Amino acid sequence: MAQIDIQAKILRYQPEKDEKPHWQTFAIQVADDSTILDVLNEIHWRHDGTLAYRRSCRSSICGSCAMKVNGRNVLACETPVHRFGTKLKVEPLSGFQIIKDLVVDLEPFFAKLKRIKPYLIVDKPLPDKEFVQSPAQLEQIGESTLCILCAACSAACPSSWPNQEYLGPAALLKAYRFVFDSRDDGADQRLEIVNDKNGVWRCHTIFNCMEACPKKIKITEYLSRLKLKVVENSL
Amino acid sequence: MNKDFKQTSRSGSLAWLLQRISAVILFVLLVLHFVTYHFLAQGRAVSYRWVIERAGSWWFPLLQFAFLLAALYHGLNGVWSVLEDYTSNRYWRLVWYSLVVMVGVVLLFVGTLTIVKLYTLKAA
Repeated sequence: MAQIDIQAKILRYQPEKDEKPHWQTFAIQVADDSTILDVLNEIHWRHDGTLAYRRSCRSSICGSCAMKVNGRNVLACETPVHRFGTKLKVEPLSGFQIIKDLVVDLEPFFAKLKRIKPYLIVDKPLPDKEFVQSPAQLEQIGESTLCILCAACSAACPSSWPNQEYLGPAALLKAYRFVFDSRDDGADQRLEIVNDKNGVWRCHTIFNCMEACPKKIKITEYLSRLKLKVVENSL
Repeated sequence: MNKDFKQTSRSGSLAWLLQRISAVILFVLLVLHFVTYHFLAQGRAVSYRWVIERAGSWWFPLLQFAFLLAALYHGLNGVWSVLEDYTSNRYWRLVWYSLVVMVGVVLLFVGTLTIVKLYTLKAA
Protein backbone atom coordinates (compact mmCIF):
# COMPACT_ATOMS: atom_id res chain seq x y z
CA MET A 1 0.00 0.00 0.00
CA ALA A 2 1.45 3.34 -1.05
CA GLN A 3 2.15 6.03 1.51
CA ILE A 4 1.40 9.71 0.91
CA ASP A 5 2.68 12.86 2.61
CA ILE A 6 -0.05 14.91 4.22
CA GLN A 7 0.08 18.42 5.58
CA ALA A 8 -2.69 18.68 8.16
CA LYS A 9 -3.43 22.14 9.50
CA ILE A 10 -5.56 21.75 12.61
CA LEU A 11 -7.35 24.39 14.66
CA ARG A 12 -6.10 23.79 18.20
CA TYR A 13 -7.57 25.07 21.44
CA GLN A 14 -6.44 23.80 24.81
CA PRO A 15 -8.48 25.78 27.37
CA GLU A 16 -5.90 25.25 30.13
CA LYS A 17 -3.19 27.13 28.20
CA ASP A 18 -4.67 28.85 25.11
CA GLU A 19 -6.52 32.13 25.21
CA LYS A 20 -7.97 31.62 21.76
CA PRO A 21 -7.86 28.95 19.01
CA HIS A 22 -4.76 28.84 16.79
CA TRP A 23 -3.56 26.75 13.83
CA GLN A 24 -0.97 24.00 14.11
CA THR A 25 0.41 22.15 11.09
CA PHE A 26 1.47 18.50 11.18
CA ALA A 27 3.49 16.87 8.39
CA ILE A 28 2.72 13.16 8.45
CA GLN A 29 2.68 10.05 6.28
CA VAL A 30 -0.41 7.88 5.90
CA ALA A 31 -1.62 5.14 3.56
CA ASP A 32 -3.16 6.54 0.38
CA ASP A 33 -6.57 5.03 1.19
CA SER A 34 -6.72 6.66 4.64
CA THR A 35 -9.68 8.58 5.96
CA ILE A 36 -9.57 11.92 7.79
CA LEU A 37 -10.02 9.94 11.02
CA ASP A 38 -6.93 7.87 10.18
CA VAL A 39 -4.98 11.12 9.82
CA LEU A 40 -6.20 12.35 13.22
CA ASN A 41 -5.41 8.97 14.80
CA GLU A 42 -1.90 9.06 13.30
CA ILE A 43 -1.33 12.52 14.77
CA HIS A 44 -2.83 11.54 18.14
CA TRP A 45 -0.98 8.22 18.44
CA ARG A 46 2.44 9.16 17.07
CA HIS A 47 2.88 12.95 17.00
CA ASP A 48 0.81 14.76 19.62
CA GLY A 49 -1.20 12.83 22.19
CA THR A 50 -2.91 16.00 23.42
CA LEU A 51 -4.99 16.39 20.23
CA ALA A 52 -8.66 16.04 21.21
CA TYR A 53 -11.40 14.84 18.86
CA ARG A 54 -14.49 12.64 19.10
CA ARG A 55 -14.65 9.20 17.51
CA SER A 56 -16.51 6.00 18.17
CA CYS A 57 -18.00 3.66 15.56
CA ARG A 58 -15.74 4.31 12.53
CA SER A 59 -18.74 3.27 10.40
CA SER A 60 -20.50 6.63 9.88
CA ILE A 61 -23.41 5.68 12.10
CA CYS A 62 -22.67 7.18 15.55
CA GLY A 63 -22.28 10.76 14.31
CA SER A 64 -19.44 11.54 16.75
CA CYS A 65 -16.72 12.64 14.34
CA ALA A 66 -18.45 15.45 12.41
CA MET A 67 -15.99 18.27 11.75
CA LYS A 68 -15.08 20.85 9.13
CA VAL A 69 -12.45 19.76 6.61
CA ASN A 70 -11.32 22.26 3.98
CA GLY A 71 -14.52 24.23 4.60
CA ARG A 72 -16.90 21.26 4.32
CA ASN A 73 -18.72 19.56 7.17
CA VAL A 74 -17.96 15.85 6.97
CA LEU A 75 -17.78 12.71 9.07
CA ALA A 76 -14.05 12.13 9.56
CA CYS A 77 -14.47 8.34 9.62
CA GLU A 78 -16.08 8.02 6.18
CA THR A 79 -14.23 10.75 4.28
CA PRO A 80 -11.17 9.64 2.34
CA VAL A 81 -8.17 11.95 2.39
CA HIS A 82 -7.92 11.91 -1.41
CA ARG A 83 -11.20 13.82 -1.61
CA PHE A 84 -9.29 16.90 -0.45
CA GLY A 85 -5.75 16.20 -1.67
CA THR A 86 -2.63 16.32 0.49
CA LYS A 87 -3.31 19.64 2.22
CA LEU A 88 -5.94 19.41 4.90
CA LYS A 89 -7.45 22.17 7.01
CA VAL A 90 -9.37 20.62 9.90
CA GLU A 91 -11.59 22.68 12.22
CA PRO A 92 -14.34 21.99 14.75
CA LEU A 93 -17.99 22.47 13.65
CA SER A 94 -18.99 26.14 13.34
CA GLY A 95 -21.57 27.75 15.59
CA PHE A 96 -20.74 25.72 18.70
CA GLN A 97 -18.50 26.56 21.62
CA ILE A 98 -15.16 24.71 21.47
CA ILE A 99 -14.44 22.56 24.52
CA LYS A 100 -11.01 21.41 23.33
CA ASP A 101 -9.42 21.24 19.86
CA LEU A 102 -12.02 19.55 17.59
CA VAL A 103 -14.46 18.78 20.39
CA VAL A 104 -17.42 21.16 20.57
CA ASP A 105 -20.14 21.60 23.18
CA LEU A 106 -23.21 19.84 21.74
CA GLU A 107 -25.41 20.48 24.81
CA PRO A 108 -27.41 23.28 23.09
CA PHE A 109 -27.89 21.01 20.06
CA PHE A 110 -29.39 18.20 22.16
CA ALA A 111 -31.41 20.65 24.30
CA LYS A 112 -33.13 21.86 21.12
CA LEU A 113 -33.71 18.28 20.02
CA LYS A 114 -35.41 17.47 23.35
CA ARG A 115 -37.61 20.56 22.92
CA ILE A 116 -39.49 19.00 19.99
CA LYS A 117 -40.22 15.78 21.96
CA PRO A 118 -38.15 13.34 19.89
CA TYR A 119 -40.10 10.23 20.81
CA LEU A 120 -43.31 8.51 19.82
CA ILE A 121 -46.40 10.01 21.53
CA VAL A 122 -49.30 7.57 21.43
CA ASP A 123 -52.78 8.47 22.72
CA LYS A 124 -54.73 5.71 20.97
CA PRO A 125 -55.01 2.21 22.49
CA LEU A 126 -51.84 0.24 21.88
CA PRO A 127 -52.12 -2.60 19.37
CA ASP A 128 -51.77 -6.21 20.56
CA LYS A 129 -48.60 -6.69 18.55
CA GLU A 130 -46.68 -4.13 16.53
CA PHE A 131 -48.00 -0.92 14.90
CA VAL A 132 -48.87 -1.67 11.30
CA GLN A 133 -47.54 0.83 8.79
CA SER A 134 -48.24 0.68 5.07
CA PRO A 135 -45.39 1.25 2.57
CA ALA A 136 -47.07 4.56 1.64
CA GLN A 137 -47.12 5.68 5.29
CA LEU A 138 -43.49 4.70 5.68
CA GLU A 139 -42.67 6.59 2.50
CA GLN A 140 -44.03 9.77 4.16
CA ILE A 141 -41.22 9.82 6.71
CA GLY A 142 -38.80 8.12 4.35
CA GLU A 143 -35.16 8.96 4.79
CA SER A 144 -35.84 11.53 7.55
CA THR A 145 -35.42 8.62 9.97
CA LEU A 146 -31.82 8.13 8.82
CA CYS A 147 -30.51 11.14 10.77
CA ILE A 148 -27.56 10.18 13.00
CA LEU A 149 -27.56 13.48 14.95
CA CYS A 150 -24.01 14.39 13.96
CA ALA A 151 -24.91 18.14 13.95
CA ALA A 152 -23.21 18.71 10.58
CA CYS A 153 -26.42 20.27 9.22
CA SER A 154 -27.01 22.66 12.12
CA ALA A 155 -23.35 23.70 12.03
CA ALA A 156 -23.64 24.45 8.30
CA CYS A 157 -26.82 26.53 8.63
CA PRO A 158 -26.20 30.30 8.24
CA SER A 159 -29.49 30.99 10.05
CA SER A 160 -28.14 29.13 13.09
CA TRP A 161 -24.82 30.99 13.34
CA PRO A 162 -26.12 34.40 14.44
CA ASN A 163 -29.11 33.08 16.38
CA GLN A 164 -28.40 30.48 19.05
CA GLU A 165 -32.10 30.23 19.84
CA TYR A 166 -33.08 28.91 16.41
CA LEU A 167 -34.08 25.23 16.64
CA GLY A 168 -31.91 24.35 13.65
CA PRO A 169 -32.33 21.80 10.86
CA ALA A 170 -31.62 18.65 12.89
CA ALA A 171 -34.33 19.32 15.51
CA LEU A 172 -36.79 20.44 12.83
CA LEU A 173 -36.08 17.32 10.77
CA LYS A 174 -36.78 15.22 13.87
CA ALA A 175 -40.05 17.14 14.32
CA TYR A 176 -40.94 16.31 10.71
CA ARG A 177 -40.08 12.67 11.30
CA PHE A 178 -42.66 12.38 14.10
CA VAL A 179 -45.32 14.79 12.75
CA PHE A 180 -45.59 12.69 9.57
CA ASP A 181 -45.33 9.33 11.34
CA SER A 182 -48.68 7.51 11.07
CA ARG A 183 -48.14 5.91 14.49
CA ASP A 184 -47.67 9.20 16.32
CA ASP A 185 -50.40 11.34 17.95
CA GLY A 186 -48.26 14.28 19.07
CA ALA A 187 -48.30 16.27 15.81
CA ASP A 188 -50.31 19.20 17.24
CA GLN A 189 -47.90 19.67 20.16
CA ARG A 190 -44.87 19.61 17.88
CA LEU A 191 -46.43 21.86 15.23
CA GLU A 192 -47.16 24.42 17.95
CA ILE A 193 -43.51 24.33 19.05
CA VAL A 194 -42.04 24.67 15.56
CA ASN A 195 -44.56 27.37 14.53
CA ASP A 196 -42.32 30.10 15.87
CA LYS A 197 -39.91 32.77 14.69
CA ASN A 198 -37.13 30.68 16.24
CA GLY A 199 -38.69 27.52 14.84
CA VAL A 200 -39.36 26.46 11.29
CA TRP A 201 -39.77 30.04 10.01
CA ARG A 202 -36.10 30.83 10.63
CA CYS A 203 -35.29 28.36 7.83
CA HIS A 204 -34.76 30.31 4.60
CA THR A 205 -34.24 27.25 2.35
CA ILE A 206 -30.52 27.94 1.96
CA PHE A 207 -29.81 24.21 1.30
CA ASN A 208 -26.51 24.20 3.27
CA CYS A 209 -27.94 21.54 5.60
CA MET A 210 -28.62 19.24 2.65
CA GLU A 211 -25.12 19.71 1.30
CA ALA A 212 -23.57 19.02 4.70
CA CYS A 213 -25.66 15.95 5.61
CA PRO A 214 -23.43 12.84 5.45
CA LYS A 215 -26.55 10.70 5.01
CA LYS A 216 -27.71 12.80 2.03
CA ILE A 217 -31.10 13.45 3.63
CA LYS A 218 -33.17 16.02 1.71
CA ILE A 219 -33.56 18.14 4.85
CA THR A 220 -34.68 21.35 3.11
CA GLU A 221 -37.41 19.46 1.27
CA TYR A 222 -38.70 17.93 4.51
CA LEU A 223 -38.63 21.30 6.27
CA SER A 224 -40.65 22.81 3.41
CA ARG A 225 -43.26 20.09 3.90
CA LEU A 226 -43.25 20.85 7.63
CA LYS A 227 -43.86 24.56 6.90
CA LEU A 228 -46.85 23.68 4.70
CA LYS A 229 -48.21 21.40 7.43
CA VAL A 230 -47.93 24.21 9.99
CA VAL A 231 -49.80 26.60 7.68
CA GLU A 232 -52.49 24.00 6.90
CA ASN A 233 -52.88 23.37 10.61
CA SER A 234 -53.22 27.02 11.53
CA LEU A 235 -55.67 27.94 8.76
CA MET B 1 -24.83 31.75 25.02
CA ASN B 2 -28.44 30.60 25.31
CA LYS B 3 -28.47 26.85 25.62
CA ASP B 4 -32.08 26.21 24.82
CA PHE B 5 -34.67 27.08 22.23
CA LYS B 6 -36.61 30.09 23.42
CA GLN B 7 -40.17 30.14 22.15
CA THR B 8 -41.30 33.59 21.03
CA SER B 9 -44.84 34.93 21.10
CA ARG B 10 -44.71 35.46 17.35
CA SER B 11 -45.28 32.93 14.64
CA GLY B 12 -43.88 33.60 11.18
CA SER B 13 -46.45 31.53 9.32
CA LEU B 14 -48.46 34.46 7.92
CA ALA B 15 -45.34 36.29 6.68
CA TRP B 16 -44.14 33.05 5.06
CA LEU B 17 -47.50 32.46 3.36
CA LEU B 18 -47.80 36.08 2.16
CA GLN B 19 -44.22 35.93 0.82
CA ARG B 20 -45.20 32.95 -1.34
CA ILE B 21 -48.50 34.52 -2.44
CA SER B 22 -46.77 37.81 -3.33
CA ALA B 23 -44.16 35.82 -5.31
CA VAL B 24 -46.91 34.18 -7.39
CA ILE B 25 -48.64 37.54 -7.89
CA LEU B 26 -45.32 39.10 -8.95
CA PHE B 27 -44.75 36.33 -11.47
CA VAL B 28 -48.21 36.78 -13.02
CA LEU B 29 -47.82 40.56 -13.07
CA LEU B 30 -44.38 40.27 -14.63
CA VAL B 31 -45.85 38.21 -17.48
CA LEU B 32 -48.61 40.81 -17.90
CA HIS B 33 -45.97 43.54 -17.82
CA PHE B 34 -44.03 41.89 -20.62
CA VAL B 35 -47.17 41.38 -22.66
CA THR B 36 -48.43 44.94 -22.25
CA TYR B 37 -45.06 46.64 -22.63
CA HIS B 38 -43.42 44.59 -25.33
CA PHE B 39 -45.97 42.54 -27.25
CA LEU B 40 -48.96 44.88 -27.53
CA ALA B 41 -46.72 47.25 -29.49
CA GLN B 42 -45.78 44.56 -31.95
CA GLY B 43 -45.93 45.64 -35.55
CA ARG B 44 -45.84 49.37 -34.88
CA ALA B 45 -43.35 51.94 -33.68
CA VAL B 46 -43.58 52.77 -29.98
CA SER B 47 -44.39 56.47 -29.91
CA TYR B 48 -44.87 58.88 -27.03
CA ARG B 49 -48.55 59.19 -27.91
CA TRP B 50 -49.04 55.43 -27.84
CA VAL B 51 -47.30 55.11 -24.43
CA ILE B 52 -49.36 57.93 -22.91
CA GLU B 53 -52.62 56.52 -24.33
CA ARG B 54 -51.81 53.14 -22.83
CA ALA B 55 -50.92 54.76 -19.48
CA GLY B 56 -54.30 56.50 -19.56
CA SER B 57 -56.33 53.32 -19.97
CA TRP B 58 -58.27 52.00 -16.97
CA TRP B 59 -56.22 48.81 -16.49
CA PHE B 60 -52.78 50.45 -16.54
CA PRO B 61 -52.80 52.13 -13.08
CA LEU B 62 -54.45 49.03 -11.54
CA LEU B 63 -51.75 46.77 -12.94
CA GLN B 64 -48.95 49.12 -11.88
CA PHE B 65 -50.37 49.62 -8.38
CA ALA B 66 -50.74 45.85 -7.86
CA PHE B 67 -47.17 45.47 -9.06
CA LEU B 68 -45.99 48.19 -6.67
CA LEU B 69 -47.76 46.63 -3.65
CA ALA B 70 -46.59 43.07 -4.38
CA ALA B 71 -42.98 44.11 -5.06
CA LEU B 72 -42.81 46.31 -1.97
CA TYR B 73 -44.22 43.61 0.31
CA HIS B 74 -42.09 40.83 -1.17
CA GLY B 75 -38.87 42.83 -1.18
CA LEU B 76 -39.21 44.49 2.21
CA ASN B 77 -40.43 41.32 3.92
CA GLY B 78 -37.32 39.60 2.55
CA VAL B 79 -35.06 42.38 3.85
CA TRP B 80 -36.80 42.27 7.25
CA SER B 81 -36.37 38.51 7.50
CA VAL B 82 -32.60 38.87 6.87
CA LEU B 83 -32.33 41.70 9.40
CA GLU B 84 -34.26 39.62 11.93
CA ASP B 85 -31.74 36.79 11.57
CA TYR B 86 -28.88 39.03 12.57
CA THR B 87 -30.53 41.24 15.21
CA SER B 88 -31.38 39.73 18.55
CA ASN B 89 -31.53 42.96 20.55
CA ARG B 90 -35.15 44.15 20.94
CA TYR B 91 -34.23 47.82 20.65
CA TRP B 92 -32.35 47.31 17.37
CA ARG B 93 -35.11 45.12 15.99
CA LEU B 94 -37.57 47.95 16.59
CA VAL B 95 -35.18 50.43 14.95
CA TRP B 96 -34.71 48.19 11.86
CA TYR B 97 -38.42 47.38 11.65
CA SER B 98 -39.35 51.08 11.82
CA LEU B 99 -36.78 51.83 9.11
CA VAL B 100 -38.14 49.08 6.84
CA VAL B 101 -41.71 50.34 7.32
CA MET B 102 -40.60 53.93 6.67
CA VAL B 103 -38.80 52.93 3.46
CA GLY B 104 -41.97 51.04 2.44
CA VAL B 105 -44.20 54.07 3.07
CA VAL B 106 -41.88 56.44 1.19
CA LEU B 107 -41.56 54.08 -1.81
CA LEU B 108 -45.34 53.50 -1.82
CA PHE B 109 -45.89 57.27 -1.88
CA VAL B 110 -43.34 57.89 -4.65
CA GLY B 111 -44.62 54.89 -6.66
CA THR B 112 -48.26 55.93 -6.33
CA LEU B 113 -47.36 59.47 -7.36
CA THR B 114 -45.62 58.17 -10.49
CA ILE B 115 -48.57 55.96 -11.44
CA VAL B 116 -51.07 58.80 -10.93
CA LYS B 117 -48.84 61.20 -12.89
CA LEU B 118 -48.58 58.74 -15.80
CA TYR B 119 -52.36 58.15 -15.74
CA THR B 120 -53.18 61.85 -15.85
CA LEU B 121 -50.62 62.83 -18.50
CA LYS B 122 -52.20 64.05 -21.71
CA ALA B 123 -50.83 63.10 -25.06
CA ALA B 124 -49.65 66.24 -26.85
